[in-house]
Amino acid sequence: MNDILFGCIQCGRCTGGCPVSVRSALNIRKLIYRSLIKIKNKSKDLGIWECTTCSTCSIRCPKGVDVVDYIIDLRSDEIERGKVQPQVRDTLESVFKFGNPWGRIREKRADWLEGNGVRILQPGDKTRFLYFVGCTPCYDTRTQEIARAMVRVLKTASCDFAILGIQETCCGNEVKRMGEVGLFEMLVEENTKLFKKFDIGTFFTTSPHCFNTFKNEYIDLDFVIEHYTTLINRFIKEGRIEPRGKFEKRVVFHDPCFLGKQNDIYEEPRELLRSVPGIELFEFERSRERSLCCEGGGGRMWVETESDEERLAVTRVKDAAVLEVDVIATACPFCLLTLEDAVKTSNLEDSIKVMDIVEILDEALGLKDEEERVPEYQNTRSSDSKQSQ
Amino acid sequence: MNIAVCIKRVPETAEAAVNIDSSEKHIIPDQLVFDINEADNYALEEALLLREKTEGDITLFTVGSKESDEVIKMGLAKGATRGVRITPENLDNLDAYAVAKLLAEQVKEGNFDLILTGCISSDVGNSQVGVTLAELLGIPHATLVIKMGIEDGFATVQRELEGGLLEELKIKLPALFTIQTGINEPRYASILGIKRAAQKELRVIENITAEGMKAEVVKMYYPPVGKMAEILEGGVEEVSGKLCEILKGKGLL
Ligand code: SF4
Ligand code: SF4
Repeated sequence: MNDILFGCIQCGRCTGGCPVSVRSALNIRKLIYRSLIKIKNKSKDLGIWECTTCSTCSIRCPKGVDVVDYIIDLRSDEIERGKVQPQVRDTLESVFKFGNPWGRIREKRADWLEGNGVRILQPGDKTRFLYFVGCTPCYDTRTQEIARAMVRVLKTASCDFAILGIQETCCGNEVKRMGEVGLFEMLVEENTKLFKKFDIGTFFTTSPHCFNTFKNEYIDLDFVIEHYTTLINRFIKEGRIEPRGKFEKRVVFHDPCFLGKQNDIYEEPRELLRSVPGIELFEFERSRERSLCCEGGGGRMWVETESDEERLAVTRVKDAAVLEVDVIATACPFCLLTLEDAVKTSNLEDSIKVMDIVEILDEALGLKDEEERVPEYQNTRSSDSKQSQ
Repeated sequence: MNIAVCIKRVPETAEAAVNIDSSEKHIIPDQLVFDINEADNYALEEALLLREKTEGDITLFTVGSKESDEVIKMGLAKGATRGVRITPENLDNLDAYAVAKLLAEQVKEGNFDLILTGCISSDVGNSQVGVTLAELLGIPHATLVIKMGIEDGFATVQRELEGGLLEELKIKLPALFTIQTGINEPRYASILGIKRAAQKELRVIENITAEGMKAEVVKMYYPPVGKMAEILEGGVEEVSGKLCEILKGKGLL
C-alpha cells in the first residue's frame, strides 16, 4: 500500500489545500509521514473519516502522489475489521440489500416520477439517451425535484430518452470512497451486466458522483457517459432546447468537486447558466480548481463529523451572502443538500435559495407551471418517448 | 470458552408490502430482502466481544433453507469459527418447539459454556426458541439480557424489566441468554470478508424430519381494516398543521 506514497517529499501542499484540515484532526501530510516511517495509521483521532475525497490534495501534490487512494486504503482496513461508525455500517448494508444507501426498498425507487410518463427500459430495448437518476434524487424528497425538472426539460428537447426505473442500482462511487472495495466491485459487475441488456447511445447522470465512477472506474461500458450539464448545454447550443422565459436573479455557481476538480468540467455549467435570459452570474472568490468543498462527498453524507468547527457549507453560504446573491446554483444532489442545510442553519432562508442548474432552467422555461395547468402536457410534449408505465 | 449462537434469516419488512400465498399459511418471499434477525445480530456481536477477551470457538446454528447460508457466512466473516445449518424436510411447518428441538439435538453435542440467541425474531416474534432450547438442554437461562459479564464459571447479566427496572442475576455456566437489541454495536461484515468466509466450515444437516410440533399455523391474514384511522391529505405543511390541531384537540400537545 505504501508504494503509492514513496514519491512524497513532505512539502505539505496537500494539507495546505485540504479544506477539512482546518476544522478537524485530518492532516494528510502527517498521515503519509507516519505511514512512510511505518507507524500504523488506524486511530480515529487521525480523522480519516473526515476526508470528503474532494481530491484537492491530489491535484496540488507536485509529486503526483495519489493521496485520496491512500485515504481509501486506510478506510478499507477499518472496513475489513468491521469496526466502523454505525451509520457507515448501515449505509453499506443498505447498498448491499436494497441497492441504495438510504435504507429504502427497491420497489419505491421510481416513485419520484409521480405518474410522469417516462419510458422505462426493458431488456433488449434501445435508447438514444439513458438518464441515470441516482439514489439520492430517486428517494430524497428535496432532490426528487431535480429529477422531475430534468424530465420536463428533456421533454422539450424532443429526444428519445429513458430511465431504468426500479432496475437502477447504486453506482458505488461513495461505497468505494468509504473503503468498501468488495461491495464496489460487486456493484460494478452487476451494473455492467444490467447495462449490457440494453442498447444505449449516451448515458448521463444527475450526480457528478455517479458520472465520475461510471466514466473513470467502470472499465467495460461501451456507450458515451456524460454529466447532464454537458449534455443539456449542448442541446442548448444546437438549438434543441431554447431557453426562453426569464430568470432575473443574482446567481453564484458552486463547483461540485466531482464535476470540477475531478473531471475538469468547469465551463459547461457556467455556459448553461449564462444561456438563461435574466441571470446575473457571480463567482465565488474560491471557485473552479480552488472551489471550497461542501463536505458531501466521500461518504460524508453518512459519516458523523467529530468536529464542532463551522461546516464548510456554512462558510460557503456566508460567502454567497456577502456576494448578495439570490441563488446558489449547483449541479450535484449532495452539494444541494449540504448547502441548503447550511442556508437553514445560518438563518438565510429568506434571502438565499439553493437550486440545481436544471431546476433554474426548468423554472425559466416555466415548465412546472405549465405542467400544473395542463395535465395532459406530458403527452403533447413527449413526441418520441413512448409511455410504458 | 465455547460459545454457541443461534441465528435466523428473516425478511426485512419495514417498508415492503408483505403478501400471503394461496395456502394462507406463508408469506410470498419473492420481492423481499432478507437479513440476519436483528436481535440475533446483537447476540452474535456479544459472542464476538467475549471472544476478544477469552480464547475459544464460536459456533453458529440456524434452522432454515439453503439461503440461510447467507447469514451464516456473514457471521463467519465477522469472526465466528464454524456454522451449522439444519434443514429438515418439513421446514415449512415448524413451530418454535420443533425449532428448539432441532437445535437442542445439535447443540447438546458441542459442550458449550454459553449459548446466546436473540430475544425475539422479527418475523414471527414468538420469543420461545431460546427458553425452550434452555429447557431441553436442562440449563439455566435469562431473557432480555442488556448487559453481560463472565467470570470464574459464572455469568452476571442484567435484564430489563417493566417500568425501567433492572434486574441483575448471577448464573452458573453453562447457561443460555436471550439477548436484547442495543446491548452493543454490531460490527460490519465486508463483502470480501463474506467471500473469504466461504472457506470456513459450514456443516449441513439434511434428510431429517422435525417431530413433536405443538402449534400449527391455521391461517395468515391481514387484520380487518379499522375505522379509527384518519388519513390526512395535502402537502407536508398542510398535513403537519392538521396533525398539530388534532393532537392539540386531544390535549396531547
Ligand atoms: S503534496 Fe504530495 S509531496 Fe507534498 S506532502 Fe503532500 S503528498 Fe507529499
Ligand atoms: S481529498 Fe480533500 S478532504 Fe480528503 S485529504 Fe484530500 S484535500 Fe483533504
